[in-house]
Amino acid sequence: MGKKNLVMNNPLRILGLEKKVQDKDASMGLVMSRPGLGKTAILVQIALDSMLWGDKVLHVSIGESFDKTRAWYDDILALMGSTEKADSFQTTVAEILPNRMIMTFKETGFSPIKLEERLGDLVQQNIYKPVCLIIDGYDFQGGTHKDLEEFKAFMVRKGVKMIWFSATTHREDERKSAAGVPAPCHEIDDLFDAILMIEPKDDAVDLKILKCTGCSVDPGTSLILDPSTMLIQKA
Amino acid sequence: MSVDLSNVRNIGISAHIDSGKTTLTERILFYTDRIHAIHDVRGKDGVGAKMDSMELERERGITIQSAATYCNWKGKDINIIDTPGHVDFTIEVERALRVLDGAVLVLCSVGGVQSQSITVNRQMTRYKVPRIAFINKCDRTGANPERVTAQLREKLGLNAHMVQIPIGLENDLVGVIDLVTMKALYFDGDNGEVVREDVIPAGLQDKAQAKREELLEAVSMFSDDLMEVMLEEGDIHPDLIQDAIRKGTLALEFTPVFVGSAYKNKAVQPMLDGVAAYLPCPTDVVNMALDLNNEEKEFPVSNDPADPLVMLAFKLEDGRYGQLTYVRTYQGKVTKGDTVFNSRTGKKVKIGRLCRMHSDEMEDIEFCGSGDIVALFGVDCASGDTFTSGEISCSMSSMHIPEPVISLAIIPVDNKAQINMSKALNRFTKEDPTFKTFVDHETSETIISGMGELHLEVYVERMKREYNAEVTVGAPQVAYRETITARAEFNYTHKKQTGGSGQFGRVAGYMEPLEEGEYEFVDSIVGGVIPREFISSCDKGFQKSLVKGALCGSAVTGVRCVINDGAYHNVDSSDVAFQLAAIGAFKDGYMKAKPVIMEPIMKVSVEGPTEFQGSIMGSINQRRGMIIGTMEEGQYTVVEADVPLSEMFGYSTILRSLTQGKAEFTMEFSAFKQVPKLVNDELIKKYQSERKNG
Repeated sequence: MGKKNLVMNNPLRILGLEKKVQDKDASMGLVMSRPGLGKTAILVQIALDSMLWGDKVLHVSIGESFDKTRAWYDDILALMGSTEKADSFQTTVAEILPNRMIMTFKETGFSPIKLEERLGDLVQQNIYKPVCLIIDGYDFQGGTHKDLEEFKAFMVRKGVKMIWFSATTHREDERKSAAGVPAPCHEIDDLFDAILMIEPKDDAVDLKILKCTGCSVDPGTSLILDPSTMLIQKA
Repeated sequence: MSVDLSNVRNIGISAHIDSGKTTLTERILFYTDRIHAIHDVRGKDGVGAKMDSMELERERGITIQSAATYCNWKGKDINIIDTPGHVDFTIEVERALRVLDGAVLVLCSVGGVQSQSITVNRQMTRYKVPRIAFINKCDRTGANPERVTAQLREKLGLNAHMVQIPIGLENDLVGVIDLVTMKALYFDGDNGEVVREDVIPAGLQDKAQAKREELLEAVSMFSDDLMEVMLEEGDIHPDLIQDAIRKGTLALEFTPVFVGSAYKNKAVQPMLDGVAAYLPCPTDVVNMALDLNNEEKEFPVSNDPADPLVMLAFKLEDGRYGQLTYVRTYQGKVTKGDTVFNSRTGKKVKIGRLCRMHSDEMEDIEFCGSGDIVALFGVDCASGDTFTSGEISCSMSSMHIPEPVISLAIIPVDNKAQINMSKALNRFTKEDPTFKTFVDHETSETIISGMGELHLEVYVERMKREYNAEVTVGAPQVAYRETITARAEFNYTHKKQTGGSGQFGRVAGYMEPLEEGEYEFVDSIVGGVIPREFISSCDKGFQKSLVKGALCGSAVTGVRCVINDGAYHNVDSSDVAFQLAAIGAFKDGYMKAKPVIMEPIMKVSVEGPTEFQGSIMGSINQRRGMIIGTMEEGQYTVVEADVPLSEMFGYSTILRSLTQGKAEFTMEFSAFKQVPKLVNDELIKKYQSERKNG
């Protein structure tokens, strides 16, 4: 029962995002915000959702340590499981953890080609075949439209169905796309199927859906990130 | 010995196995007049090198224990710790680095930066040890010191630059050019003991000039004065360059590279000049101690001989005359006859004899001061203990001790061997914190565990040679466990009538999985259907059943046994009868409670060059391992995984062959997890066939 509950109660359900992985090939999502507002927390919630559905997730962390990345999962799982029965929750966690692999890179050591190489090692030897990739910390300032297209191409080659990125915005850079997607992703927003934006507002943290082809939020619903748990909630 | 600390150098010599560091040490001792003849490591004269004092070391041509020695070079007192090159003996290297102020990283000019050089370099970085590099074996075919220097930069990330270039290579190696003084150095005499300065050969002028410019460019950032002279294009005094190199080296931002061939007696003396000029004296480095009176807050030791004593025992040896304890003094001084305190035990210790060690020979001294490395006699302590004068209570920062990764069962061949084995194990565990031993109560075997197969092999060898303890070595055993996964009822009557008083007892109730803990017994008997005095008999019976499970003969854990019904007989019921009834009841319920076999899962961390990441992950996958993640750090990748212990035996050998010896791994216990069905069936089959065959 625990697993089903966790799927149903996943904060992502509020977004109306259904199990997107099976929908279509090569969908890309993006979570944007200024530094320190909770991009990783949202990415981890997305990853956990996939893991609960039984999909294999590869979490690529650029410039962040392995232990810190793992701690994000432990924290969010603990919050999600706080309403569950302890033993069945532990069983669920033990069941879904094999669906997660973490790969960390230094900022200077990451490139789409390198990631594909590493992924090739995993897939060819039948060690791990992820269908969902989380890429946290990718430098969009240095990346071009072509680089992102390269990600899409290798998703097809490696059988990856979904990639979620995080991107950091900066107050002083006011550039925006026609759809309102801020820099540094204003020129590549066409490549993403979903773009979420975290924005601080008074005492709360708003979660705006800038673009989402598969979301179905009830009209009038505004979403926030609970600042103490970093979980998505209705305002 | 002088007391001016600026003239003291505590250095280590470490490198990959077979890079020739023991030979280099032998030459250093010869040139500093500590020995008067040179013996080769695997020499035909049968004497062996001075530093390889252990019989086994001389036989195998590898250094197992880091022998400490002392020499004086041009007014500098140099304490040298020769360290082993094999990865299994890493604790020796780590302990040596902990007490040293500087190090010489020896590399083979043909092999270049090898796996152990990488490990040692990482350890040096961890302990912030400034180092110089010596590219040895330049007389060998295929020698290429420039390539090795490039590897130092690429593979180790060091800002390494040559301060010498060779004159000739391979068979033509005749000397070196010092790029600081721009002079050629030749080594005359039977053993290269006479250093002759000359002008640089015409054919090497341009190359030397180009290399010097490279060197100046690299070191100028450490000295404004040098930078200024270079900008003004004035004459650069060698002292100015040396000063800049020293600053860069001490700041761990520069690594001067020396070249030569210890075996051919070429360029060892200039390397010694480098030790004196570029490596730090004890006051150049800050060592931290933990204040035991102030929540172990770190504080820097003063290096002042006038301050209260702080001294670390970093190595123990069982010598011919009792226990020999190598110590490094961090502040204060100790004189023969002094009483000091062991911070760990709080015990007073009298310093009866103080010696300066020269491999297995020694020289009695009256006192030793701050910064010194000496040996004490007959002091009972463990490796890593701190001694103080009693005025302060502190401990030197704890040393990083890796957990043992492999275990073997050893069985003494006879009673005499049993006694000797105990003595040997007691000694080895004191000497080497990575070597552990315990008696497995389930199998009654003595288990030894350590850092690798060779590590344990050497100790088994030493037991035989030094303690005359002949042992047979068994295959490594994994401690499986059995547990139940469901609640099951039991009801068993033990009834025996074989003449005389009979046996009668009935025990009924249920067993269920216990979330936390190994075993719980619950007495829910009402109405005295089992009399009080036999309740504990039931408990005993259940506990006896837990020793060996019915699936594979392993201990059963995580079981709660509840008794709620039973029967007794006024005459035939007894303690034994109820114990047997409980054993029968356990058997009755156990197989219905869906028992499973659990195995120890280890958290394994494999570190190796990124190019081998695929092979490493493949090898883990083949071992039923679950890869948790990978960390790519420059040229290196760490793969973290959970792997069953039973699959890890022999992994070090496999990993070495998969990665050309460039990867290493550590592992520690993580949890017990249920074995997969296939393994489960195999274990049951094996146990049943063992029982059948007696």
